[in-house]
Amino acid sequence: MSQQYPVLIVIVPLLSAFAISIAGWVNKRLCFPIIVTALGVAVYASVGLLLTVLEKGVVIYHLGGWPPPVGIAYYVDHLNGLVLVVVSLVALLNVIACKKSIELEFPDKAAPFYTLYILMVTGLLGIVVTGDAFNLYVLLEIAALTGYGLLAMGEERAPLSTLNYLYMGTIGACFYLLGVGYLYIVTGSLNMVDIARLLPPLYQSKAVLAAFIICMVGVWLKMAFFPLHAWLPNAYTHAPSAASSLIAPLVTKVMVYVMIRLILTVFTPEFAFATLALNNVVVWLAVIAIVMGAILALAERNLKKMLTFIIVAEVGYMVGGAWLGNRAGMTGAILHIVNDALMTLCVFLVVGNIVYKVKGYAFEDLQGLFRKMPFTMGAFVVGAMSIIGVPPTCGFFSKWYLILGALQAGHYGFVAALIFSSLVSVVLFFRIFEICYYEPFSDHHGHDHPPEPMDEAPLLMVVPLLIVAVILILVGLYTGDIVNHVIKFAIPEGLV
Amino acid sequence: MKIIGLIITIITGAFLVYAAVDFPAWADPNSPASTYLSPYFIENSMKDTSVPNFVTSLLADYRGFDTMFETTVIFTAGLVCFILLRISGGKEPETRHYRHVLTGVTVTLKEGRKIPASEDFERIDDLWTPPDLIIKTGCRLMIPFIQLFALYVIAHGHSSPGGGFQGGVILGASIILLAISHDLRTALERMREKVVAILCPVGVAIYAGTGTLCLLLGLNFLDYSALASVLHVDPISARSHGILMVEIGVGIAVMTTMIWIYNNISSAGKYNQGL
Repeated sequence: MSQQYPVLIVIVPLLSAFAISIAGWVNKRLCFPIIVTALGVAVYASVGLLLTVLEKGVVIYHLGGWPPPVGIAYYVDHLNGLVLVVVSLVALLNVIACKKSIELEFPDKAAPFYTLYILMVTGLLGIVVTGDAFNLYVLLEIAALTGYGLLAMGEERAPLSTLNYLYMGTIGACFYLLGVGYLYIVTGSLNMVDIARLLPPLYQSKAVLAAFIICMVGVWLKMAFFPLHAWLPNAYTHAPSAASSLIAPLVTKVMVYVMIRLILTVFTPEFAFATLALNNVVVWLAVIAIVMGAILALAERNLKKMLTFIIVAEVGYMVGGAWLGNRAGMTGAILHIVNDALMTLCVFLVVGNIVYKVKGYAFEDLQGLFRKMPFTMGAFVVGAMSIIGVPPTCGFFSKWYLILGALQAGHYGFVAALIFSSLVSVVLFFRIFEICYYEPFSDHHGHDHPPEPMDEAPLLMVVPLLIVAVILILVGLYTGDIVNHVIKFAIPEGLV
Repeated sequence: MKIIGLIITIITGAFLVYAAVDFPAWADPNSPASTYLSPYFIENSMKDTSVPNFVTSLLADYRGFDTMFETTVIFTAGLVCFILLRISGGKEPETRHYRHVLTGVTVTLKEGRKIPASEDFERIDDLWTPPDLIIKTGCRLMIPFIQLFALYVIAHGHSSPGGGFQGGVILGASIILLAISHDLRTALERMREKVVAILCPVGVAIYAGTGTLCLLLGLNFLDYSALASVLHVDPISARSHGILMVEIGVGIAVMTTMIWIYNNISSAGKYNQGL
């Protein structure tokens, strides 16, 4: 069975999507157990796969029994083995934590919602596991289409902001497809490893250069890399909590993975960094992304929207780190995919809990929350510390590698941007702590408001959140192992 | 803003054209795309899969995994239309219109009133159009033949242009034609919402299930030659049969998605009346 893990990761969620869709018309109570079981299997298979990769190296799976380049192949190495575990784990924890809010927000559409949810996870897992450039596009389409559906289910303004996302996302996907088309014209192959084998004689070709640039721009559009980020904040803010806490941690991170995969495997670092010499430009773009993301977040008076701008800044971290063109920067970028997925999940689950109890996420709604929801806010503190980058939470370590990479590359602008954004995050989060802890202020006449009684979110929402908070610290403590046993092998030896 | 957009579009277009300079010449038989993999598919499709139409064998076998997800994309599109548009528990409109068939008189009923039980009255939509005998009869005559042709297209995808996607669209169009020529209620009586909504995932599940069956029989996912032991044929023709199975699944999924999207959009999610 274990040699079938790569395909099971995708097929079990896919089949369960159809089962949930049918169960919605027959017996609605079956939907939740099916989705949890399917995601549980996906987590099990991806952990098993990562262990196999650690033990035996790259795992290749021929779909339909056709060897590549004739057929489609799944190609799992240390890089996507790690990302697979993160994606499936985040999806599992999130669906458990969001059961209550899904049932509250969509009493009679829970089944189609779960179906779209698990199809989206299928799409994301498929993007990560595949070794075929066109198969990646097809799964990208599934992830995008389900994402539009999930995001548009939210508040009154959600359909409009999702429509913006739909335009931008479609253009991004088209660009990627166009790039793959260019590659196919000049090489005749769609398999990533095969393209990489055929490309070196063609490095001087303008078509390859164009393919690389349009693929990158397409992927940047999908990951909301500044200045292509305009669709993200509104689309994520107006979305239902369960959708935003799935999409915010995963979609941008999976797209960063795609970018790294294109650089490392398809075009190879020699072409991307040495032949093109675009590094400096892209890292400066990342610097602007980080600074602008931080400043725009500072301007918000609304917790969820503030967090979406932090995502824009975090995308800048990862793109900049990957494009520094050295080992430490790439390590930081890959480690940050893991860390940022987990810490974004943590803070968005907190927002979900707050919305469930308080029905709002503007700063005024947060008053007195430390007393009202101590566990939720405790997890929020851990998530915030991780985003700021306080040891021993995991956010510190990826920032450490990123700064190390920037120093090695001699790119002090990136170092400055990282430090600036960390300082802004301190202001952002301590401002919220202050509101949650001290407000509402007692008035001057001496008679205080009676303290609000504790009113924590249901156990089913709090426990997964606390698990995520603990994972944030654990990942921080075991960073050394992750870097030395996994990420070290994910980066080709040629990159120093 | 418009000018900036124009400039960006022109620059992007110019860049793409500039890059196209290095492309192989138009229809060049020596270009990499025509020399690298295409000869393999053209020469071996019949040997490998016993399907003479190598477009079909490429689509449903060599790269059948992509096609499975394309079918899933179609299912997703139908589902997203449903989840965004369908208004559940939609009430009957306050006034309803009935036509007395024999005299052509239209009766308008306020909420709560009922029509005397009689065969002579038929419900009509708010946007009333005169009943057109020619259109109704003409469409009713054509629909069975359209459906027969659709089944032919699905079943004949192996040796001529066609297959599940095209056949499914034709099948869906036949039901939509019924809804257009009569009204939405007539079409819904033939294909109820629940039937459509269940058949759609079932169609894609037939595709994914065929693949899973191959996996359970001990070979890789979608390796149809595993079906040989179940179908009692040799592994090569098993591939051909496997392709037919998934084409049927695609046909069902595409047909129901067409109908599903049409029903939701034409009635604005209320399912009481529409085009």
